Amino acid sequence: MKQILLVLMETYRRQVKSWSFILLVISPFIFIFISFGFGYLSSTFGESSSDQIAIVSTNKKIAKQLRYDKDEITLKYHSQKSARNALTKEKIKGYLVVNQNDSQLVARYVGKEKLSTTQKSNFQQILQANQQSLNVQKAQLTQGQLKALARQSILEQQVSKKGVSDETIKTISFTITIFLMYFILITYTTTVAQDIASEKGTKIMEMVFSSMPAQRYFYGKILGTFAVIATHLLIYLIGGGAMYLILPKLETSKKMFAEYNTMIGKVVSNLLSINLIYVLLGVIIFTILAALCGALVVRPEDTSKAVQPVIYVVLVGFVGSLVFGQNANNVIVKVASFIPFISSFFMPMRLIYSNVSLIQVGSSLLILLTATFGLAMYVGRLYSGLILQTDDVGIINSFKRASKIK
Amino acid sequence: MLKLVHLSKSFGNKQVLRDISFSAESGEITGLIGKNGAGKTTIFHSILNFVKSDGSIVFEDDQITDKTYKSIGYLPEERSLMPKLTVFQQVRFLASLKGMAAKVTRKELLKWMDKLEVKGKIDDKIKSLSKGNQQKIQLICTLIHQPMLIILDEPFSGLDPVNTDLLKEVILAEKKRGATIIFSDHDMTNVEELCDKLVMISTGQVVLDGEIQALRLSFGSTRIFVQTEMTQEKLQNLAHVTAVEKTKFGTYRLDIEDEKYGKEIFNEVTGGHYVKTFDQQPPTLNEIFKMKAGK
Repeated sequence: MKQILLVLMETYRRQVKSWSFILLVISPFIFIFISFGFGYLSSTFGESSSDQIAIVSTNKKIAKQLRYDKDEITLKYHSQKSARNALTKEKIKGYLVVNQNDSQLVARYVGKEKLSTTQKSNFQQILQANQQSLNVQKAQLTQGQLKALARQSILEQQVSKKGVSDETIKTISFTITIFLMYFILITYTTTVAQDIASEKGTKIMEMVFSSMPAQRYFYGKILGTFAVIATHLLIYLIGGGAMYLILPKLETSKKMFAEYNTMIGKVVSNLLSINLIYVLLGVIIFTILAALCGALVVRPEDTSKAVQPVIYVVLVGFVGSLVFGQNANNVIVKVASFIPFISSFFMPMRLIYSNVSLIQVGSSLLILLTATFGLAMYVGRLYSGLILQTDDVGIINSFKRASKIK
Repeated sequence: MLKLVHLSKSFGNKQVLRDISFSAESGEITGLIGKNGAGKTTIFHSILNFVKSDGSIVFEDDQITDKTYKSIGYLPEERSLMPKLTVFQQVRFLASLKGMAAKVTRKELLKWMDKLEVKGKIDDKIKSLSKGNQQKIQLICTLIHQPMLIILDEPFSGLDPVNTDLLKEVILAEKKRGATIIFSDHDMTNVEELCDKLVMISTGQVVLDGEIQALRLSFGSTRIFVQTEMTQEKLQNLAHVTAVEKTKFGTYRLDIEDEKYGKEIFNEVTGGHYVKTFDQQPPTLNEIFKMKAGK
């Protein structure tokens, strides 16, 4: 056990300290920061950009009212000429000239593109209110008449507290689970296979195997790789937790967070359920298969070829689960949720979208667990035979030879 | 003592070991020699439990199991360490598998590096060391835990004569410590110089097994080295001489039918006169190797 732990630590230390791991882990954070940075920069320095609309009016009161959004609308231009010049130089998106002839408000928009529906409706609303006021003044109505005219219809809305539908929550949870599995497997199957193939090329493995049984070394290696993946996920979990705490306090995300708080909670609880066990077991069984593929090649540069079958199985699970999507009751999905390797894709899908009986979940997990342990023991038993072979006899022959060595 | 009894191994239809039996004593160096592909590495791998062979392998009266690993030191044929690790990281990892604590490893590593005159520090990356120094580090990994069974597969390959001598000293010191050492080399001079006993393998079988000098003598002293004024032709015509060859040192090497004819040839060559050299010897180990393993 101590030797397994030593190999685990050595594998873990070597991989976690590598630049490729550090870059892999921090790249999503860098991506998020860059996205936020661009958003911030564009909102900070975007005020004088050509997205603005200028209001040109001699009536300062109306002009001020029309500037309902200080970022979108400017009052910098006082004449049509200066606004036209600004439009020509693409400093503004367009300009709205508002004139009052007698008791009639006339507004004319000049721009390279049409006003958006929201902008048009906002302008119309403000202008209509002012026109109404002018009309009232002109009609010289009594207080009673004014009150009667001011009466408006009532429109009530009753919004369900849920905010986002259960179906959306399921889709989000399913998508995150499937993409998480895919991302981890695509990244780590190649890494494991590469690592083992490069070790195989060195005679140091003979020295290692003269100190401990190859089988134990293999277990240490798989557990070490699993520890690296777990660290990777833990960092994301901590990162996600930190964002969960920080985002509600930030001005920019406060509103959005309050709106989706319930949904985030439900998605997280979907992810941190039995689905996580499927993800973890799936990662282990695929890692073992990738290790076997890595041990079959003689030259490390052949690893990508050898690891192809693993990638295909991952793709079957990934694409299959996406194709069947929400059709969790399909018979293919039901069967696939019991087949080791792809059950890690299909059973979480069933668990998210439909009710699966405890017996079915238990049987599927038992099959997956048995397959994982069985494969680990089988590859472990062959491991010294696989690693100590240095003749380039092809993948199939290499496998046959390894099974004859012990 | 290491004892191999009736060891046999086949890979598919190919039998690589056939009824191999020999023993290696504690405090002795046993040379395991044979042509490439004779089965030496399979024997080493069987001892180390890498491959499962028929027969039995016993070290100090016990079967070799996981527990025996701590008392084994193995230096494989080709040299290769993990290039990205530092010297200490590499040695520490392998020593830890043998049960050594990191602190003790550091202390012992420094002593060994000094003893083997390794040019480099313990925090240097393996890849920054010269090939010879990497080889020395690998030998340190083999010996640092003071194993009682040491298996050295061609330990001198690629070393210059000075470092070869340094390594020989270390191997002899390990012998003095009481370790059982099995050693393989294609250079018979090294084998003759270091080994107490020899096991020769040919096509998976033991063809010779015994103490080196006794083995040589068992072939008879049928080589005569003589420095004389006689011509090569005259020497060739002498009775019981099968071959004559002039050596680069100015002497003739005569192969004779049997060592008992040595005295007769001595009389013929000297004729009662002075000769600078007359030396009757058994075949060298190299010649025996070619005769027995070269078939």
